[in-house]
Amino acid sequence: MQESELWLTKIFNDYLAVPGNWFLSLVRLPHQARPWADFIVMQLLVVALLVVLVLILRGRLSFDRPGKLQHVFELIYEFVHGQTEDQMGHDGEKYLGYFATIFLFILFCNLIGLIPGFDAPTMNPVVPLGCAAATFLYYNMVGIQSNGAKYAAHFVGPFWWLAPLMIPIEIVSHLARPLSLTIRLFANMYAGEKVTAVFLSLTYFVVPAVFMGLHLFVALMQAYIFMLLTMIYVAGASAHEH
Amino acid sequence: MTKKLILLTVLLLVICPMLFAQSADVAAQTKSNAAIGAAIGMAIASGLCGLGQGKAVAGATEAMARNPGAIGAIRTMLILGLVLIESLALYTLVIVVRSSGLLG
Repeated sequence: MQESELWLTKIFNDYLAVPGNWFLSLVRLPHQARPWADFIVMQLLVVALLVVLVLILRGRLSFDRPGKLQHVFELIYEFVHGQTEDQMGHDGEKYLGYFATIFLFILFCNLIGLIPGFDAPTMNPVVPLGCAAATFLYYNMVGIQSNGAKYAAHFVGPFWWLAPLMIPIEIVSHLARPLSLTIRLFANMYAGEKVTAVFLSLTYFVVPAVFMGLHLFVALMQAYIFMLLTMIYVAGASAHEH
Repeated sequence: MTKKLILLTVLLLVICPMLFAQSADVAAQTKSNAAIGAAIGMAIASGLCGLGQGKAVAGATEAMARNPGAIGAIRTMLILGLVLIESLALYTLVIVVRSSGLLG
């Protein structure tokens, strides 16, 4: 069965098959004829786009006469910083880098799906799983870093004699967090794309465009919600019991 | 209310034999049963999530009307609540898509 490829993936597979197979051999997977998958190429594109954007911004930062790019990034920074302050007060500034990164990465990944000729990497369930796994590792690391060995006290609950009941419940609820993050992001992106495609096959002109507008709104909201939930989990993990 | 209930039950009982008296092709039968089950499950999930989101929006607008100073905080809570409820319907959609194979 011939899977359709994006034009960028076709270029990668035609000319860069050897480095692709080298990456596969790093993780002991067998070589394939066309190793680059759509979502990997799209993720690399998003990363390259973000790095180029930030490097251009770096060259144009100015205190007296800020340009348009600086204004846009100041808006983004104010937004993320405001949310962090809402969730965890002033202690949250050390975690701002991860929140802004995950927000911009998921935002760009979702939005690039709206451009014809490109596919959203978050439409494949693996990519939201990666983001959710990264968030899971991050908030646990933050918990261990800020609370030390007392992080395990979070799992015990309010009374020590409730521990045999609370520990399985807490572990399952903690494991449900990356699961729900993954499914939420994947299902929203996948459903948005499929609904637009279904309506495109049913009718034409205005109606699929309306669903695409809804998909755009949902893409923005899902990136925001992922970041907000990350902040809530980090705030919960780094909360100091006074 | 009772008359409507009786009418609905009779309709259900009349339709059931028609559903079961279909072709003997097992694979297609299972697939079409899965599709019907998926559609009913998705309808229930969407309906209940619609009710939940309606309650959330109603509470939020009433709170905003009572306390215009807290509109920012209420809006944040509203958006967060709506997205979390929405994701419950989407979990069902994932199961539907996986089981019915209609949308790939």
